[in-house]
Amino acid sequence: MKSNLWNILKKELREMFRDKKSLAMMLVIPIFIPLIVIGMSAVFEGTMNMPITDYNTIGFDYELNNVEESIAQELQINPVYDTESRLEEKFLSGEIDLYVTKEGVVYTMHGSDTDTTQYASGLVESYFDAYKAYLQKDYLANHNVDADEVLDIIVLESDIGTEENFFVSYIISYAFLFIIMAITVSATYPATDTTAGEKERGTLETLLTFPIKSRDIIVGKFLSVTVASIITGLISLVLAVISLKVANGMFSIYEGVNLMLSPAALLYAVVVILAYSFLISGICIAIASKSASFKEAQSALTPLIFVSLFPGLIAFMVGITTNNVTACIPFLNYSIIFSDIAGGYVNGLHILLMLVSTILIIAVVLRVIIKQYKSEKVLFG
Amino acid sequence: MLKADNIKKKFTKLIKKKEKVEFYANNGISLEAHDGEIVGILGPNGAGKTTLLRIIAGILEPTSGMVTFDDLNYHDNETEIKKNIAYLSGNTKIYNTLSSYELLHMCADIYGVLKTDIEPRIMEIAKILDMESFLYNRIGSLSTGQTQRVNIARCLIHNPKYYILDEATSGLDIISSQIILNFIKGEKKKGKTILYSTHYMEEAENICDRVLMINKGVVIASGTPGEIKKSTETTNLRDAFFKLIEGDNHEE
Repeated sequence: MKSNLWNILKKELREMFRDKKSLAMMLVIPIFIPLIVIGMSAVFEGTMNMPITDYNTIGFDYELNNVEESIAQELQINPVYDTESRLEEKFLSGEIDLYVTKEGVVYTMHGSDTDTTQYASGLVESYFDAYKAYLQKDYLANHNVDADEVLDIIVLESDIGTEENFFVSYIISYAFLFIIMAITVSATYPATDTTAGEKERGTLETLLTFPIKSRDIIVGKFLSVTVASIITGLISLVLAVISLKVANGMFSIYEGVNLMLSPAALLYAVVVILAYSFLISGICIAIASKSASFKEAQSALTPLIFVSLFPGLIAFMVGITTNNVTACIPFLNYSIIFSDIAGGYVNGLHILLMLVSTILIIAVVLRVIIKQYKSEKVLFG
Repeated sequence: MLKADNIKKKFTKLIKKKEKVEFYANNGISLEAHDGEIVGILGPNGAGKTTLLRIIAGILEPTSGMVTFDDLNYHDNETEIKKNIAYLSGNTKIYNTLSSYELLHMCADIYGVLKTDIEPRIMEIAKILDMESFLYNRIGSLSTGQTQRVNIARCLIHNPKYYILDEATSGLDIISSQIILNFIKGEKKKGKTILYSTHYMEEAENICDRVLMINKGVVIASGTPGEIKKSTETTNLRDAFFKLIEGDNHEE
């Protein structure tokens, strides 16, 4: 007898695409990705590029000489002179952003741990660096020494990532992590509906009277949930790429950053989305089909959303990178390989290991579900 | 011929969510149904009718005993048997998001009806059951009576040899019940075998050739309605049933 897999899949897809909640889960969740990308970019941009007038009013408990005044003017420092106690009052009332006291050759900066003080202290440090360099050059010149030769005895150049690049890679990593979460959320609803929902509505009994092998029923349901997950994943990916492009044109923190937009990188991202969609759909169906009711299944699946996020979050925090072992660990592997793709680094072996481990897990999960569908306790319990 | 031989089905239930107690929903039930025969399965709620019919329909597996259809058993020929069965219960639900046409098309596909025969078959059944006006409407938007007609159409689509009907008229209004009863009589005339469970004794008396009365998972009487009435010296199956279980249910 021919396989009825296609008939089951067709029925499941029809039901899914006609169900408003399933459609909403599939299509609405990805919309949060542009909001996250643009929102995070705006926050980081605001932090990175605070206007100088917000932190350049600096208090001094001594009079600046001509040279100091000239340097302060060049660095756009707006000096305010007063006694230490009055400066402290002015700082607390917000009139000044930081103040400096002098005792002999010791200069002390006073402030708090706010962003404004941090920016102001950076400005004052630049001011003192410039003043110190002036004094050193002046001293050496008075002692007939070529200041440039002494002070530039070594040259230090920098080729490390800028702070702006760090912020952007942070945003990209979180955008991709959100794609993983969107796929998980998208899989939970149709998985619940097609298993516990079908049981609750009483249509499962009808399905079981049909001359269909339980394997075809399971695989049909599994594929339909996978289709929903893939649709969400692909929409999320497209929106992530578009919103990163838009953010690139809107915010200066993206200057000089090479965004992940090459066709090969996009192809790898699609492979990760496909693999994760298959895995999460299988797991969702396995959990939901053991539940007696729709509500019970939803409660059972909710932790899965956090489980899908945590390994990626922890990996970003503690700096776990992709290797032959981590590429095989479910949930963790998708997040860190996504990060690699975002960073423009892709290892074919890691992708292969991720695919092999995913296929093995799916095979086990499907066996478990097929066994469950032969259990009367699961079907009618 | 449909034959169920010494069917036993054991379930476990929890008492006060703690103690597990095993009980037999069916405890050694045997029956036969021949071509063109309507066999009634009668008994009160909880007698084991639904479990028995689910086992016969291949939805549940018996703990022991065997069901055969024309000498084919579920263990070796599950899909082959199910192709010749139509199962309809009072609780049978169908897919609300599909239209009647889509459901019938899907069922025809699943039961292996020839592609070229599907469309004419759906139209023929729609005409017989007067479904033409709502054939393309979603099932969720139909009335109870219309939904029941779709359910009957679903059973007819593959022209099965056996019908297993479990409390099919339960909860239906008089018109919807009559649709089902007419359908049963019509199929009998075509030589189909029908197992019909109900707790409406008068209904069974009117349409069944033979009946099986069960209570607490065991057969308490079997035969034609006339034979049972005669052996219990009663004038109807309702009185016969009460006479048969006299004293038996007082302990509950």
